[in-house]
Amino acid sequence: MAGLLDKLLKIDRRWIFFFVALSVTVPILVPLGLPISTTSATQMAFDFVEALEPGDVVLLSFDYGPSSAPENDPMAEGFMRHCLSRDLRVVVCVLYPLGALGLANNVVARIGHEFPNKVYGTDYVNLGYKDGDRAVMRRLGDSIADAFPTDVNGRPIADLPIFHGVRSIRQVKVVFTAATGLIGEWWITLVHAQFGTPVIIGPTAVSAPKYYAYISSGQLAGMLGGMKGAAEYEQLIGKKYPVLGNYYKGTRLFTAVKGMDAQTAIHFVIIVFILIGNVAFFASRLRQGRS
Amino acid sequence: MKLAAGLSLLALLVAAPVAVATPTGTLPPAPPEVPAPLAFTAVDRPGDSGDAILLTWGDPPDLPADAVIEIRRAQPPADEWTDLAKVKPGVGQYVDTTARDGNVYRYEVRVRSAGTADSTGIAGAVGPPVVSDPAASHDNWFRAERTNSFIAMGLFTGIILVSIQVARSGRPLFIRKIAGLNAVDEAIGRATELGRKVLYVPGIASVNDIQTVASLAILGHIARASARYGTDLDCPNRDPLTFVSARETVRSAFLAEGRPDLFREEMVNYITYDQFAYTAAVSGRMVREKPAANFLIGHFFAEALIMAETGQSTGAIQIAGTADPAQLPFFVAACDYTLIGEELFAAGAYLSREPVLLGSIRGQDLAKALLLLFGIVGIVAATFGITWFATVLNTR
Amino acid sequence: MSGLDLSFGKVALFLCFGLLPIAGFLLGLRAPSIRRQGPIILAFLAGIIPILSIYIPKRFLAHPEMGMSPRLDQYLIIVAGFALPLGIVNVIQNSSRKAIRRETGWPFAVVLLVGLFVMGSFGIYGAWTGEGIGFRVDGTSTPFKWMEENCFKPLQSTIFALLAFFMASAAFRAFRARNAEATILLVAGVLVMMGRVPLLEFIATPFPPLMPAAAAASQWLGKLTEWIMDVPNSAAQSGIIIGAALGAAAMAIRVILGIERSYLGLGKGD
Repeated sequence: MAGLLDKLLKIDRRWIFFFVALSVTVPILVPLGLPISTTSATQMAFDFVEALEPGDVVLLSFDYGPSSAPENDPMAEGFMRHCLSRDLRVVVCVLYPLGALGLANNVVARIGHEFPNKVYGTDYVNLGYKDGDRAVMRRLGDSIADAFPTDVNGRPIADLPIFHGVRSIRQVKVVFTAATGLIGEWWITLVHAQFGTPVIIGPTAVSAPKYYAYISSGQLAGMLGGMKGAAEYEQLIGKKYPVLGNYYKGTRLFTAVKGMDAQTAIHFVIIVFILIGNVAFFASRLRQGRS
Repeated sequence: MKLAAGLSLLALLVAAPVAVATPTGTLPPAPPEVPAPLAFTAVDRPGDSGDAILLTWGDPPDLPADAVIEIRRAQPPADEWTDLAKVKPGVGQYVDTTARDGNVYRYEVRVRSAGTADSTGIAGAVGPPVVSDPAASHDNWFRAERTNSFIAMGLFTGIILVSIQVARSGRPLFIRKIAGLNAVDEAIGRATELGRKVLYVPGIASVNDIQTVASLAILGHIARASARYGTDLDCPNRDPLTFVSARETVRSAFLAEGRPDLFREEMVNYITYDQFAYTAAVSGRMVREKPAANFLIGHFFAEALIMAETGQSTGAIQIAGTADPAQLPFFVAACDYTLIGEELFAAGAYLSREPVLLGSIRGQDLAKALLLLFGIVGIVAATFGITWFATVLNTR
Repeated sequence: MSGLDLSFGKVALFLCFGLLPIAGFLLGLRAPSIRRQGPIILAFLAGIIPILSIYIPKRFLAHPEMGMSPRLDQYLIIVAGFALPLGIVNVIQNSSRKAIRRETGWPFAVVLLVGLFVMGSFGIYGAWTGEGIGFRVDGTSTPFKWMEENCFKPLQSTIFALLAFFMASAAFRAFRARNAEATILLVAGVLVMMGRVPLLEFIATPFPPLMPAAAAASQWLGKLTEWIMDVPNSAAQSGIIIGAALGAAAMAIRVILGIERSYLGLGKGD
């Protein structure tokens, strides 16, 4: 018995890795379709976008790299689909240096294809990447054209109809930042604080806990926390817009809702191992106490 | 006869519309006037770097439901009015950011009623314009909306400087024990005994991040201890500026300890700018070279747990420190000691034990006590519905 | 030909960060004390200018294009650009030495050098031919883009994916109820893990009659999780953020005023 307890207390970590790999792989191959409940932070974000008027301009900022794409891509895609379904004008920009531009180009191309009635340059535009993160945000406060003189294809933004009536970030109705790291926080502390533009953030799950303080203080208009937040948003927009609902049900591409099955399984495995560890810990303490 | 009948018919035809339109004989109602905006002013926008003029006005009462406020601008010498913007009622202000310093402008606002089914006005009717006095923009000396943060900054700096002065006078200062910093010498001693090296990771942010500066300060102390004990030091870097600064820090430390012969250029090395390539390289080094002590101090992101867990698996003693709340739980779970938040910034002072630096730590604590007091007062005020306190402390 | 733009901000920056360091370096060849003071004076100037620009919006200081503070940000980017070749030279030197002397892990040094030169060559090829490092006009990938899409991005994702495995092993080791604080950590962690995903429904999947009860319990757990994140977590995070911000501000004051010098490798009496 003592030997078994020792073994349980010091399980070779490779067994843990094996079960983790299994719990991630199986649900992706065999989807479970588990239900997803909506948190208030995601509901806030959804309601905010729903309250905007057709023709309002929103800014979608790609502030993440390929490493967190499985979490952040569904957020960015869901937001852009939602906005185009509501006939909002979507301005896309990239402030993260490593790999984000490629991700933005892919998402804009894919979503643009899904909305053939939307015109590039009139309903949505991709401004590309600009170096300088905080300096760029400050410049956006005065003039978007100063920060991004041309779009990603080199076309002067003065020639683009999407910017009619919009000169700076002050005329933008909301900024959505799909972020990893600090850039998301800078949108709140710089852009929202100085120019009053509402911000919705889509951070990775590991960063999400620190943004609850910003939600409580009213500095954030909503949050999509990690893949769960993205899955909740996909569900909300799927229910409200049947076309999107059909897309999410039928697509073979990765979506956050599909990812939640794997996440559920892995949480289960981790909790089981924690319970095993604690049972073995207490049993061995009892045994030591008796002896 | 026929002429009389025709004349009568003609009289009837002339009289009939009047008789039908005005059964009582009164005039038709005049179209309602579109009112003019009230109290229109154009002034330089306060607290900015220029190139902006602030327009304010009051919406008149009885504004039509579909009214819009038109703003126009004229600039000498042409003085031709050009359209500037259209604003919905209720906004009451507009900032002209296309103005340029050195030019004098005049502005005009007027109400236009678009004339929908709900309106009783004539379609597209425009009210009388109101013209402003000439206005010019210029840059200002102070941002008045940041007065509260300016006072707070002055107060905070004053508290720090007074505390430093008090410390200079020789008064002993109490600083609570920080277990992670007390373990630094133990960790380096362990590495010396085992004949293995000390691995120091200064975070992945650049040198303009204050956490990296704090990390370099600690690196200086650890490099001095390594020079003193003759322990090998390895400091891989992700950022080129941090790499250059770290190399100079370690070189100066070895020189200051009188052991320049022990310093080798390859002690502080550059790997790559990519976050996860850097993580893979550091993890590989931990597994292959098995340093006896790992210091993970600075600004970390997602790679924190990967490095900490890899180091834990090699059996090294690990001391971590970061001010990013997202990564702290991982360090706490995987490392032997963790410097949390402000302990990282206090480490330089704690390790050197210089009275002047310790004085600044005390000043920082006094400032925190003051903040706590403000927090409690604010909570009580908000509970009793007193909102001005929070408004005064709000910063832009 | 247009004349030089001699705005006050530009000239002041050139004096502070151009002439002053050169003068200090030359004087420092004769007097070591000046060589030590030079970086501290530069640190003071580099710190005080952005602080002043937050409160004084004068054009020469804070204008987004012409101001001293934004220009200083650009100087940092330029200096970092010059520091990067230093890093690359260091990588090549260290890796070559490792490979030549067959030190521990020398095959990895060879792989690093191969990767560095292959990607670098593709980048130079893209610049030489004018194709760039993205997609060509016809939609095909340049060699650099192909390597990025098929090697770099999958490798990045792989290392990031290690987090899942390491999180599991760290949780297994760290979440033990050794004392009161560890027990609170354990209970809160497990509750949040259960509340963030439909875990009870997952467990009830083989037992369909239990599904409604599982769904109801899951809803309640979700609300509890939100409360944990909104109240105790938010309070703790705020406390840490405020404490860290004060510590950072105090450290910044010490660095700007030259009181803290250990980041330069200098200590007591230096």
